[in-house]
Order: sequence, then structure tokens, then C-alpha cells
Amino acid sequence: MRRLGAAAVASVLGASLALALEPSDVAYTYGVGTFVPAYAPPAPGTYELPPIRSLADHAVLDEEGDETTLRTLTSGRLAVVAFVYTTCVEAAGCPVSLGVLQRLDHAIADDAELRGAVTLVAASFDPERDTPARMAAARTRHTPAGDWRFVTTRDAAMLEPLLADFGQDAAKLRAADGSWTGLFRHVLKVFLVDRDGRVRNIYSVGFLHAELVLNDLRTVLRAGDAQVRSDVRSDVRSDPVP
Amino acid sequence: MSKIAWLIVVLVASLAHADETCMSPYMPKITGQEDYVYVWTVGMDGVGDGSDKLVTVGARPGSPSYGKVVSSVSVGGRHEAHHAGFTDDRRYLWAGGLDTSMIWVFDVASDPAHPKIVKTISTFVQDSGGVVGTHTFFALPGRMLITGLSNAKDLGGKTALVEYANDGGFVRTIWLPDDAPYGYDARVQPRLNRMLTSSFTGKKNYMRDLGELMGDAEAMKAFGNTAVVWDFHARKPLQTLAMPGAPLEIRWALQPRHDWAITGAALTSKLWLVEQAPDGRFTANDIGSVGDQSKGPLLLVDLSLSADDRYLFADTFMDGTCRVFDVSDPHAPKLVTTEKIGSQVNMVSQTWDGKRVYFTSSLLSAWDKKGKDNEQFLAAYGFDGTKLSPLFRLDFVAEKLGRPHIMHFGQDQFYKNQLYAAEGATRTASR
Repeated sequence: MRRLGAAAVASVLGASLALALEPSDVAYTYGVGTFVPAYAPPAPGTYELPPIRSLADHAVLDEEGDETTLRTLTSGRLAVVAFVYTTCVEAAGCPVSLGVLQRLDHAIADDAELRGAVTLVAASFDPERDTPARMAAARTRHTPAGDWRFVTTRDAAMLEPLLADFGQDAAKLRAADGSWTGLFRHVLKVFLVDRDGRVRNIYSVGFLHAELVLNDLRTVLRAGDAQVRSDVRSDVRSDPVP
Repeated sequence: MSKIAWLIVVLVASLAHADETCMSPYMPKITGQEDYVYVWTVGMDGVGDGSDKLVTVGARPGSPSYGKVVSSVSVGGRHEAHHAGFTDDRRYLWAGGLDTSMIWVFDVASDPAHPKIVKTISTFVQDSGGVVGTHTFFALPGRMLITGLSNAKDLGGKTALVEYANDGGFVRTIWLPDDAPYGYDARVQPRLNRMLTSSFTGKKNYMRDLGELMGDAEAMKAFGNTAVVWDFHARKPLQTLAMPGAPLEIRWALQPRHDWAITGAALTSKLWLVEQAPDGRFTANDIGSVGDQSKGPLLLVDLSLSADDRYLFADTFMDGTCRVFDVSDPHAPKLVTTEKIGSQVNMVSQTWDGKRVYFTSSLLSAWDKKGKDNEQFLAAYGFDGTKLSPLFRLDFVAEKLGRPHIMHFGQDQFYKNQLYAAEGATRTASR
């Protein structure tokens, strides 16, 4: 297993390196071995993606440090939102999310149906280190071909309602003495949000593939508002026993 | 089915050598020594408060609480506590009652030794459009997939899959197909985008006394004889597989390129191999019986498959026995060892490292044995690849708890976000 070597990473992982950690030491284990999808995703429009939850609007800081909201950034468009932190080294974590977002970015830019209809959002859950300037630098590194925003928050008070509303877990990973390793424990999650702020799919390890997300975006886009219900809370009832 | 060369996403999940086999692949695993076994327990007349409860038992060797009750949370009343499952972040345990279709959500992360009820869902039947009997709780990203066993219209076996968001909001109901309307378990193989569902029986059977039921020839016809292969992402049934005798637990193989699952039929005690053919379709084949059925049905009730896909643990209720098979060739299981666990045995749960196996005794309150044979216990065994060796046994009647059913594991380090490697300053990581 390759050791963490880059100086930039080492500076973040001081505590971790002191424990002689390898990337796999801090990663969640979901299954056995590597995961390679071996199926063709179903065709767009041949299935339904009912709303999973309705989101409130949330304040965030854009790459310039200006306060805005997620709805403002994604106004009138579908959104694919990934929660990340820029120093994450977990093999099944943020690098996977950002890699898929990059593939989506390029694919959407080349797709007449999706171009201009989707905003990608990488949102940090590490406001202490992921400043707007660092998010701007991350955006520059990824050279977006389309509408891809990198946002953060000012502090925990601004972040926590955002994470809670999406249902994204993120907790500082601590050593036995209570010191922070510089890493977070989190389940990789990426959210497909429709134009009305409703989560229509959630992707995590074993389920996050660019081709699948593209087909889901097309499915939601083509269905428009016709197939969705007005509310997804527990007062919604299904059809009775057939 | 054609395989595609689109954007290969390689997600390096840490290599493992055994597993918590019953768990959703969308949920992180506890890979080291478990500290707790959470036991979802059915209340019992004259035993303690008589209510269903979540019992937490200490499981770390050397701990003062090893093999002892650490805490117990009564939910009030009898609901036929049965199965439970963690959310995708493993912070919450959803637990259901087959009789009342109630759901309780326990926070296990804040204090793993003392789970607390944080939400109760009492509208499952209404939400779902008449699904009854909350059975399997299978974590999906941000959601919980719940299988039903029955329906409110006739309390028969026609039923559905129901999805809730992690915050408790109802999402959708998907009824099983008309040619295979019964339900039981649902398990997903993400690599193949395939879900497999199995089939049991409706509420008017599973809440009925077992002896009386087995003497009712007409009622015994109302058991499932099918498994269904689904396009998981589309939630659409693709194939109905004939599988006589109420196929229950589904165990997908975990190793890459092992495109198969094993199920067990309760009434015939037969093992079935569900395997993907080169054309992408699935076949189902009887690969042998578990135990000697000549003196009557043994009721094959639970299975556990090791993460290396080598060992299959198979529990038969009537003789209280676990048989371990080598399924290196899944077409031809070979018996490795046979262990009498008790007068009755139901669930089997294997740790990720494959070294420990836990058993509970209760099947259903109306199906458990009577009198002195109604032993109720949690039993821990070690497994070395050749035999099962007793570690501890907790008598759930003596402890005034009830009938123990499904088990799940908890660990302090996992929830306190401590590194496994920090322990002893050695790199014994979470892999």
C-alpha cells in the first residue's frame, strides 16, 4: 500500500503520519476488494426518481468569499452537490466525488440536452481550512468546462444546518488522546437536487458512477414537474393495496 | 447483459478477509473487535416488563461487561420485534415490529453502550398504502429500504418494498409482481445493479401458532415459492425464479467476479444458488439440503456467508443446529462441521474478521418451542475454520429480557471517531 508522501498532504496529516498511517487506515470499509461496475445503467426516462427530501435554502460562501445561497447558485437548474474537504485522502472518499464531478462536468459540457441545465457544486465541510481562497484554487485546478462551483462556509454554525438538511455525516477523526488527526470520518455522498430544491437521488460508495448520474439528470429533466409529488413528507401516502 | 466500458470508477474499499455478511454494502463495516451486540428482542409473558426491547450486550473479551447486559431499552408493549438495520452512516438503527408494523429509530452513535429512541414511525401501513409487517431494513444512500411481509387488505402474503428517507419521510412503495407477490428479504449487489427478493408468508400465518399452522393444509399453501431478480436502479422486476418452500435469507457473494447469491428455503431446508449466466440472466438451482429431513422439516432459518465466500453458516430451527459448509465451489457445498447450539436456534451473525459467530434462539413468538425447549439465549462462539467453540451464553429468560432475535454490532472506537491504529500505537487498521 502506498504511503502518504506529498508535502502538502503531510502538512495536513501531521498527526496521522506520527501514527504511521496509510490511507487505508483511515478509510471506512464498505465491502471486499475493489469496485468496478459491471452493468449498463437503465435508459433515461424508463424509471422514476421520486423526491427523497425537500431542502431549505442555505447560506454559503462562494469562491470570492461573498455570501450567497445554494439556491441562488443553482437557480433554475438541476444541481449535483458533493460534500468534500480539499485535503481528503480517503480512497473511497472526496477524491472519488471530485473525480466523478469532473467527468460530469466534461460530459455535460458536451451534451446538448444537459448543457446549461445543471450546476455542479463541491461544498466543503471543513470551514477551518477550506477558505474561499482555497476553494477558488481547487476550482482552478479542476478547470471547469461548465457551471461548477466550489463553496464553503464561514464556521460550524453556518455549516451544521447545511449538513443536517442534506443528511451528510462528517465528524473529525480523532486519535485515542482526543487530538484531531486532520481527517474527517464521513460517508461519501453526492446529491442530485431538482429545480425545486428536492433531493431526487443520493449516491455513495458502490453507487456513484458518472454515467448513472447523467442518466438520472436526463430522467429528472425530461419528467419535469409532471411526475413529482408536491410533498414528500410522511403525510404523503402511497396508492392502496392493488 | 452487455458490460460497458464507460467511466470506470474504482472505489478502493479496504480489503477484508471476512465480513458482517448481512449488512448493506452501502454502509461502513465494523472491522475490528466489536464492543457490543445489539439484540432486538421480543417481549415475553411473565418475563421482565413483557415488552419488546433493544438489549445491548458487552462483547469485548476482558471487559467487565463481557457476555453481560449493558443496557436495555423497552419500546413499550409487544409488537413482534423481528429485524433491524443501520442507516447508511451506521449512526441509527431502525427496528421493526411484524405485528404492529411500528418502526423505532435508535441513536447508537451518541453513546454506543446506551442506544436511545430518537424517532418512532407509527404510520407505516398508511404511508405505504397498506403494507404490513416491517421486515428487512436495508440501508441505501440516504434512505432505508424496508420489505413488508403482508398487506392490510387480507393479511395474506401479497406485499411490497417501501422506502423512507433517513429523516423518516416516506418516499415510495413498490409492490412485488403479480406472479411473485410474496416478500421477505431484499439484498442488492451494487456491482451488478441487481436486487434479489425472497418470499415468506402473510400475517395470518406468521402470527399463528406453528403447530396449528402446520396442521392446516390450506394455510400451508400460502407460502412463497419464488425469488425475484430486479433492476435495482430502476426498481423493476426482471425475472421470477421458482424456488419452492419459502426462500428466506439472501446472501450475495462478496468477492469480485462472484456473480452469485445463496438463499435457503425454510420449509424444505434446501440451499439455492442464484447465479448470473453469461447472457446476464439468472438461474436458480437446488444445491443441497441442510440436515436430515426424514423426521420432519428442520426449518432452515438463517444463513451467514464469510467475506471470502468460503464458509456458509446455516441454522435449522427445529434441531437447534448450525451447520457450516465450505462453499468454495458454490455448486457443491461441503459440510465442515455441525454444532448443536440449543433446543432451538434462529439467527446467526458473523463478525467481519470471521473469528466470532453469534446466535439467537427466537424465530417468532408463536413459532418458538414450548415448555423446557423454549430456551431463549444469545450465544457467542469462536470459529477457526474447522469447528465452533463456545465463548459465552446469556440466558434471556433468566435476565428477564424475552425472546432474542436479530443481532447487530457496535463499537466504541467507530462512533467516537478514534483511529483503530491508535490502539496500542500499532497499525492494526480498519481493513
